[in-house]
Amino acid sequence: MTLFQRIKKILYALLMIAAAIILVALPDDNALDIVLFFVSIGFAIKGIKDIVFYFVMARHMVGGKMILFQGVVVFDFAMFTGTLTGVPQFYVMIYLISIHAFSGVIEVLRARESRRTVDGFWLMKMSHGIINIILALMCIIYIRDTSTAVTIYSAGLIYSAIMRIISAFRRTSFILIE
Amino acid sequence: MQMDFHYYATYCAAFLAGYSHEESLDIAYSAQFVDECSRTLLAKIKGPLRAATTQLQLEMMDARTDPVGRQDITRIWSSFHFLPRDLYASKPHCSRLYLNKYRLICGPNGDLAVKTVELAKGRPLQSVGIAMHVLADTWAHANFAGTPSLVINNTNHVFYELFPEEDGFREKLITFRHTTSTPDDLENSIYTNSLYQRNENTIMNLGHGRAGHLPDYSFVRYRYLPAWGDYGEIIKDNPSDYMKAFTQMIRAMKYIRGEEKVFEKDVYDTEASGPWRDRIRETIEKRQLSACDDWRALGEELSGHTIDVFSTDRYFEEYMQSSKDEKDETFLGRFILGAIAHKGMVISEIQRSKNMLAGVARAGFFKRSGA
Repeated sequence: MTLFQRIKKILYALLMIAAAIILVALPDDNALDIVLFFVSIGFAIKGIKDIVFYFVMARHMVGGKMILFQGVVVFDFAMFTGTLTGVPQFYVMIYLISIHAFSGVIEVLRARESRRTVDGFWLMKMSHGIINIILALMCIIYIRDTSTAVTIYSAGLIYSAIMRIISAFRRTSFILIE
Repeated sequence: MQMDFHYYATYCAAFLAGYSHEESLDIAYSAQFVDECSRTLLAKIKGPLRAATTQLQLEMMDARTDPVGRQDITRIWSSFHFLPRDLYASKPHCSRLYLNKYRLICGPNGDLAVKTVELAKGRPLQSVGIAMHVLADTWAHANFAGTPSLVINNTNHVFYELFPEEDGFREKLITFRHTTSTPDDLENSIYTNSLYQRNENTIMNLGHGRAGHLPDYSFVRYRYLPAWGDYGEIIKDNPSDYMKAFTQMIRAMKYIRGEEKVFEKDVYDTEASGPWRDRIRETIEKRQLSACDDWRALGEELSGHTIDVFSTDRYFEEYMQSSKDEKDETFLGRFILGAIAHKGMVISEIQRSKNMLAGVARAGFFKRSGA
């Protein structure tokens, strides 16, 4: 991982922590709208980037279609997220929790894949995914008490951010070409 | 390839091509020095940084991957370690951006390999060593490109080691890990590779990092799915490729010495190495992390002289203590001029193919190199 990639990872993590603080500090619809706006913009940029990358480069790559599918799904999420302003807090929370749980499932699947081909390293991914799923389930349990659910969700965001920061400082293998 | 081939095997090939023990040592030292001559080293000896032939791990971790930074990386790695096979290769229905990277895929017997050998003719032994490093790497590093690229250099879980067995091969799924501190486990086919990174231009997607050190081991045979290959599998037979690399080096050096009139693609000198063929094959096929001892023993048997252990700083003093006017005549001075000439030639050829991934070789770049 280059220095720039590490900085990018840390900045993204700091944004997640900021979003968590906004949610806890301003527990009303405005705070959720701000978070939804940034989530929507973030998804849209990522989705469009992936779709363009597929057509320009990854179309000829083994496994490249996965990049297109991811791009389309992420862009779809962006569109959907953008329509959620004005929707009651209860439903917005269910949506955000679902995304959190979904990212947890993806992390577990990735960890399983890593475990199959790569020795070590998968444990951290697996625990991150499982904790994300548990936090999402706890949010669902407390969904009627919105402020508790928001607090748990924010804790999940902060946890994910910390994991990102840790992985930014992780030593990565680099094959010395001779 | 590692020091075993770039230093000791190159010594053997040079001696079989007709060079003396001392000349073979100089060629072998220069061939191995290509893997040592980083900007950090050049800064230490106060040499010109544009002569860098490799990048250290630390230099690469901090390397910029914006377009200008990528040109710098590509200039070094495409010129010295991943010489493109066909700068005018075509692939239907792909973008120019993709095609530019696709055309930098390394492979043996390309036009640039011939030009590399031709450029070394009539030049000092240091240039011969540089050319032999580049030529040998076209075999080992085939099918990977010397530019950061996910869509070209990535590999996936389809990676099997092949073990000869009776009429065919037994296959074993290779396990990759990301711990560079642990040596590769040849017994259990566990190798270290670089992490999968979704970013097209990250340094982690440079060259054969995703395949670990497999291309550098002479004994290994494997099959895998290259990212660029349209789902076609490649069976890489390193023992066969390394033998071809060795016999092609002999042929190339015979041409440089003037014993052969032309250096043609796909022509190998099996005559000179004939009496040693079984010994060479045995060394190449022996499962070991480094074949230095075996190649060294062979070289010493061939020439009857002791081969000095490679020492990076052997010529540092001579270079650093020379006056500015005398530097070009020192061992490292000649290496530096040879490296600049070769790099300039490759950059110009890539640029001529209307591919800007390696940037432009300005006239000043060649100054004093004689290219």
